[in-house]
Amino acid sequence: MLRTTNTTRPTTLEELLSPEVAARISRLDITSRKVFSGKLKGERRSKRRGESVEFADHRPYVVGDDLRHIDWNIFGRLDRLFLKLFLEEEDLSLHIVVDCSASMDAGEPSKFLFAQRLAAALGYIGLVNLNRVAVSAIGSRPNDAEFERGESTPSGPAETGLVSSLRDLRGKRRLQDLSAYLMGLEPSGGTRFTDGCKRVALSRRGKGVMLIVSDFFVKEGYETGLRLLKGHGYDLFAIQVLSPQEMQPTIGGDLRLKDMEDGDTAEVTISAPLLKKYTQILNAYCNRLHEFCAQRDIVHMTVKSDTAVDTFVLEYLRRRGLVR
Amino acid sequence: MTFLSWPTAAVAAAIAIPALIILYFLKLRRRDVEVSSTLLWKKAIQDLQANAPFQKLRRNILLLLQLIVLCLILLAVADPQFRDTGRTNRRHILIIDRSASMSSLDGAADGGAPLTRLEAGKRAALRIVESLREPGLLDESGEEAMVIAFDTVAEVRQTFTSNKAELRAAIDRITPTDSPTSLERAYALASAYTGSEKFEEERGFVPVGPGATLHILSDGRLPDAERVRTSPVDSVVYHAVGDPKSVNIGITNIRATRAFDDPNKLSIFVELQSTAPEPLTVDVELAIDGNVVQARGINVAGATPPPPTAEEDAARAPTPGLGGFVFPLERSQGGVGLARIVVPAGVVDALPADNTAYFVFPPARRLSVAVVSEGNYWLQRALTSLSLSRVEFLTLAEFQRQLDEGRTAQYDVVVFDKVLPMVNPAVLAALPGVDAAPTVPAAAGGGGSAQPARGARVRGLPPGRSLVLGVVPPPPLGAKTVGEFDQAVIADWEKDHPALTLSGIGNVALGKGPRLELVPDTPVRAIVMGDKGPVMLEVLDAVTHAVVVAFDPNATYWPLEAGWVLFLGDVLTYLGEANTGGAAGSQIGTGTTLSTRLPVGSREIRLVLPSGERIDLEAGPDGTIAFGPVNSTGLYTVSWRGQATALDTERDGRAVRVLAANLADALESDTTPLPRLALAREVVSAEDADRLSDLTRRLWPYLLLAALGVIMLEWFVYNRKVSL
Repeated sequence: MLRTTNTTRPTTLEELLSPEVAARISRLDITSRKVFSGKLKGERRSKRRGESVEFADHRPYVVGDDLRHIDWNIFGRLDRLFLKLFLEEEDLSLHIVVDCSASMDAGEPSKFLFAQRLAAALGYIGLVNLNRVAVSAIGSRPNDAEFERGESTPSGPAETGLVSSLRDLRGKRRLQDLSAYLMGLEPSGGTRFTDGCKRVALSRRGKGVMLIVSDFFVKEGYETGLRLLKGHGYDLFAIQVLSPQEMQPTIGGDLRLKDMEDGDTAEVTISAPLLKKYTQILNAYCNRLHEFCAQRDIVHMTVKSDTAVDTFVLEYLRRRGLVR
Repeated sequence: MTFLSWPTAAVAAAIAIPALIILYFLKLRRRDVEVSSTLLWKKAIQDLQANAPFQKLRRNILLLLQLIVLCLILLAVADPQFRDTGRTNRRHILIIDRSASMSSLDGAADGGAPLTRLEAGKRAALRIVESLREPGLLDESGEEAMVIAFDTVAEVRQTFTSNKAELRAAIDRITPTDSPTSLERAYALASAYTGSEKFEEERGFVPVGPGATLHILSDGRLPDAERVRTSPVDSVVYHAVGDPKSVNIGITNIRATRAFDDPNKLSIFVELQSTAPEPLTVDVELAIDGNVVQARGINVAGATPPPPTAEEDAARAPTPGLGGFVFPLERSQGGVGLARIVVPAGVVDALPADNTAYFVFPPARRLSVAVVSEGNYWLQRALTSLSLSRVEFLTLAEFQRQLDEGRTAQYDVVVFDKVLPMVNPAVLAALPGVDAAPTVPAAAGGGGSAQPARGARVRGLPPGRSLVLGVVPPPPLGAKTVGEFDQAVIADWEKDHPALTLSGIGNVALGKGPRLELVPDTPVRAIVMGDKGPVMLEVLDAVTHAVVVAFDPNATYWPLEAGWVLFLGDVLTYLGEANTGGAAGSQIGTGTTLSTRLPVGSREIRLVLPSGERIDLEAGPDGTIAFGPVNSTGLYTVSWRGQATALDTERDGRAVRVLAANLADALESDTTPLPRLALAREVVSAEDADRLSDLTRRLWPYLLLAALGVIMLEWFVYNRKVSL
């Protein structure tokens, strides 16, 4: 809830993803509930028929087909030409979207630190299993607000909301690039969730598994953004990170609460009824997000930022089918 | 518990509590806290505000603590106090003893400096005044008090008021005197203001009204307390002051007399009294005209503790020990002297006022006596045998003529033998007890007739010093004759009366005589009682001093005995010295009126008090001056222009007469305070007063302390909330 007092960010890969955690999760692999077409040959079954050793189907021969794929046994029995089709194995696309807004820099431990470590862990799993891994950070870039106020011109693409992205990482040796990118992120500014999601959806080449890590405290609403991502056919996982202080507030007294993102204030006198009401509203908010996701076949999970990343990956994500 | 000014607190509460709540909203200081999002908080606030308009006040411990602080302060403003049931009366009378014993330096010690009992009593009175409930803005039923200071005389220093400043000032103005005490007069004065009793036909005095609380602030040495009949509706609280262990040594009597046979021999009798439990030897210095002429150690017995037989004995003090000595002097001229106690080492004397006693003695001289008689052999024979300067035998007509012409002042004493002159009743009418025109018995001679017309002269005692034989003046300067007796015997007499010491009156058998009845409130007392009533009287007021022998001495064997001559000698000396300002007449007790008779025609009369203050006086028609009551011991000097008597001195062309005022009161010198006060209807214990003062404790300081504590708690809670 309150701004993170210990703002020390991980500066090395070991700090981001400790070797122990890496060892524990290295035997996992990313799974998807759907079968997607890949771009490169990989270890994942593809929608396409290909050249693997795994039989898939037969189809009648047409002129021009490769004669080497004709199933001569069937021709012998039925006196008709059938082609023998094999499954194609391609790579899986894993896209990790990290909410990089200022609200993520809250709680003890920081929600953003958890998001960084989770992205690193899942990215590592993806890279190890030769999946294509992409990482995007959404939120307001520092000059977005100035642009909106007319104080400067946008330096990036016309659409705002996407801070940066790193694409087409494949293979374990790209782990350094992944970690460097994650360590270079700094939470600041507003969320601009819808714009960010739109940018991610439009920039996405190909389909696959998408994991969005955010607190989903979006005043404009998270619905449009998630709808846009889902509309592009991703196997979408929404990981909602909340700090322990957000789930059980420990503040008291007469306060003027200031929003980290937009500076909006709310004057409150903390009392037991108010805290009770806050908890009720938070639970209702999470439930509504959960229902929204369930209706659209999006996997939603809420996690406290003090949860160990390996525990979360090994127990919760494995149970929900993201890894195996 | 009662609230002394609850309306004030109620008004303050009506203003302050809403003001605090409003100010709490207006002046609320909020702490800025950054949160990840205000999204959920705003929803929560909106929901709560819709449901509970005063949710800000609910469970707000800081506001709650502030309200508690405010309530405590408002309670303090209401001035609550625990009240005893004895404090139910709205009116309080502070009766403060200022008599001589209250000057004892054994009041509660104040930082090492001992206080007098009067100061301690005044402080107790001030505490009572402070505890009075004051009228509030809307409640005018506060308590009120009045202040009475008393010794032998009672004075109202402040009438009933609820103004504490006036009461405090009245108490502060009370100063000690060297006078004895009379609680009865103080209570009579107080009851005149309480209105607690009213007189009804057939029922007498009946209690009425709400009554008052009488606070007696004294050491309990009140000899007439048993005569004080308090009203049932009044409550009496006795606040005892003084230390029961204090010791006082004092001179309780001093007398200078000249030998009848040799006037040059002067005897000064000094009597001492001590409240110390052990016997003491006390040095006494005797000084004449400023020079110490003799000093002697006098043994004084130790005080005797009261026998512990009854419960009431606890209220009794030990009986003081006595000692005395007669200093013999050979001195023909008159003078002024004093006897002074040198307090023994190791003894702390509580009361300095009785350590010095003054006396005045006249020069050796012989008396001038007139005998108004129709002929009395035994009297004439006895008087001529006495050592008198002049004895003049007059008929009643001759004396009456001298009296009318104002020439009787030449006689020191006039002896009336079975006759009385005609006097102006206007003089008598001014005296109490005159409810009917006085009558003179036919035996008085001169054909005394009953019921004279108003304004007519009657037979009675003329002003001056007289010995009356065989006739009784009518009241008020005499007694009422209610019959006759044929024979009587002497039952009792004042054995230490100067006129009776050697008279042998106890052996006299009386024949025929008048049966007398004393009228109350007249300056007449019986000094010899027979079995049929009083037979010898002493009349003593401001202008008249007489000894009246009611029976005819010639009808007894008394003139044949030596006692008769000794009686005449003693009584003439006793009366004559008083007349001339001699040893007895120049001795006055504090608390009484200074009265002396100057030669007719004296002018520019001036009285110098012991303090040096000068007062101009006017003499009465017979030359008598009066001043009083005398409040301090010491020498009072009267000077005037005009004729001086043989006993007066002359200085700067003015005649001077010195009178000595002494405490000389054994009861006042017995300073041991009494823990209980025995009144006519009840015994009041000083412990009750202690209990009362304990229970009338005001609570506002404790409430303010509690408020301070709650403020500290609030500060602690505030800091804890801020540091979250």
